[in-house]
Amino acid sequence: MPFPTGTSRRRALTGVLLALGLTVASSACNSGEDAGGTPGTIKIGLLASLSGTYEAVGTEIRDGFELYLRMHDGKLGGHKIDLIVADEGNGAQTAVPAATKLIKQDRVQALTGIVGGGSVAGVAPVLAEAKIPFVGSNGNPGLKDVSRSWFTSYLSDETGAAIAEYVRDNVKGEVFAIGPNYQGGYDQLRGFTDTFKEVGGKLANPDGKTLWTPFPQTTNFLPYFAKIKASGAEAVYTFYAGTAAVDFVKQYAQSEIKDLPLYAAGFLTEGGVLNAQGEAARNIYSVLNYSPDLDNAENRSFVAAWKENHDGSPTTYAMASYDAAAVLDKAIGAAGDNPTAESINKAIAGLGQIDSPRGTWQFSKTTHSPVQKWYLRQVRQDGRALSNTVVGDLATVGG
Amino acid sequence: MMPQAAPVLGPVDPYLIPALDGVAYGLLLFVAASGLVFCFGVANILNLAHGLLYAIGAYLAAGLMDGGWGSLLLALGVGTLAAAGAGGLLAGLLAPVARRDHLTQALLTFGVALGGGALLVTAFGPDSLPVRIPAALDRSVEVAGYRYAAYRLVFIGVAALIAVLLWLAVARTRAGMLVRAAVDDADMVACLGVNPARIRLGVLAAAGALAGAAGVLGAPIIGPAPTTGDTVLLLSLVVVVLGGLGSVQGTLLAALAVGEIQSLGVALAPTFAPFLLFAAMALVLAVRARGLPGRFLRLRAGGTA
Repeated sequence: MPFPTGTSRRRALTGVLLALGLTVASSACNSGEDAGGTPGTIKIGLLASLSGTYEAVGTEIRDGFELYLRMHDGKLGGHKIDLIVADEGNGAQTAVPAATKLIKQDRVQALTGIVGGGSVAGVAPVLAEAKIPFVGSNGNPGLKDVSRSWFTSYLSDETGAAIAEYVRDNVKGEVFAIGPNYQGGYDQLRGFTDTFKEVGGKLANPDGKTLWTPFPQTTNFLPYFAKIKASGAEAVYTFYAGTAAVDFVKQYAQSEIKDLPLYAAGFLTEGGVLNAQGEAARNIYSVLNYSPDLDNAENRSFVAAWKENHDGSPTTYAMASYDAAAVLDKAIGAAGDNPTAESINKAIAGLGQIDSPRGTWQFSKTTHSPVQKWYLRQVRQDGRALSNTVVGDLATVGG
Repeated sequence: MMPQAAPVLGPVDPYLIPALDGVAYGLLLFVAASGLVFCFGVANILNLAHGLLYAIGAYLAAGLMDGGWGSLLLALGVGTLAAAGAGGLLAGLLAPVARRDHLTQALLTFGVALGGGALLVTAFGPDSLPVRIPAALDRSVEVAGYRYAAYRLVFIGVAALIAVLLWLAVARTRAGMLVRAAVDDADMVACLGVNPARIRLGVLAAAGALAGAAGVLGAPIIGPAPTTGDTVLLLSLVVVVLGGLGSVQGTLLAALAVGEIQSLGVALAPTFAPFLLFAAMALVLAVRARGLPGRFLRLRAGGTA
């Protein structure tokens, strides 16, 4: 048999390239069992990315919820909890079947977790049909109907909005805005640029619009740094997360614009990425609704309990999931002797102020997202490691 | 027709660093992709686990390097050997399907890539890992009045050296001669008494070594993360499509072109950044179905075009 010719090899290769471009690595492995709970036991489903791109975030979300349960004898609102964990995978494609299994097969009475905004949007119709409450701890796409959806995280445009005024006050000159070209990036940057312009700030971007970088294929940010240098900006505002955040920060620190102050949404230096960035992240300012060094009783016990089982400090993702458990704890406790999906949902609506490691917050009546304080943090030395240290309070946003 | 040969309009200065960086990035892609070219051109194996071999090198760099020069050399040695070994294992796995079509090989190696990638994530965790390079390299230096990362500057020199050594190995050694002969007429080489299985093993191990070395040296540029293997595989495949098979020069030109498109091209036209690379690839495929320099080099070598 002759070897195929070069042309057929090239055709095969082009086909493979196409196939690779179309391939969406999908994996949905469900865990949990179908045991009928004992009387009084409440089944809660937790959906988070335990594999794929967002595994790090998904693991924090699972661990945050489980930590709250462990600290409260496995009970929420006096009822024993049967927590069933399922893998959200990379997005709606895997999240929807996993959520359907939790709702239809395991018959959970409430759902929590979910990393991706796209996953939340995909799961929303399934939740609406089942009429069970959802206490989301990360992804928040701004659903139209939030009658049974609650979020302990934030709306994506609130991060930038909270720091805009501070940046205007502290940067003498124009600010360059740059971010990734996906929905989360658009929301994050729009939150900053809209508010920044409103309060009289001026962008250094040539056309007054944010510079978008292709996501996820951008691994090299130097050409963009050359643009920023040429714009004459006095500071930079950005949002990146995960691997892109590591590349951005490491390359920034050795680029032509390394002396320009870098302001960012807190995700740029949050969790595992800070370890990978190392020295390059020093002095970066960021805005977030949480920092592990916040000084309040709730946070001290949360961080101490977290560190018993983990190497590093908890992230905002773990904190939001811990709060989701706290929300369900209070709501189930207030939902009567035999809590139903309906009565739990009603009870969440009546919760009022919630004590949290981030400080006190409450659900907005309109968006069902937190009305909460945002903090200015700077990457500084903390013992042997670098960490996000709170250096001040920023705006209270939400509602 | 080469994208980087396009006339630079307006002030040159803002584009100096991106142009320089395009060379560094291109040379990294060259070292990473040349192994894939050998696999495909010589052993006729479409190895979709090639990105995994790079990732092995990158993860070992993160695990072994502690900021000293000795650990850098150790990581380079261990990373190269480990990836070469993985390449050898791959040759063993592929032996039963060596004469089957590319789809079979692609499925097998893609499966290995997915499984191996998952193993790396299990072993090293889902986060991006820090890579500690010697302090002398972990800073920026002045180049014609601009700041540029010292490591990348040194990397350009090292990668250029690897390129020269590779060219010498292919052009001047007996192994290189066999490789070139196998590209031209594999059946004839088999008739001459050279076992194709042994060529396959050698080529896959050598390809693994190149990918592993690229992974260790490139770890500070394309660092170890769960997506590393996919990123490197995709860019390497683009280099293969642009550069054609079986010539070191073609691969080098294509890799530099991809590097400059990703760097200088993005600096010149940031709005088109998402499309530049694949637009260039489509253009080349449309104009010359066999890649940029393939036909020219084959003709010059007196082979069949």
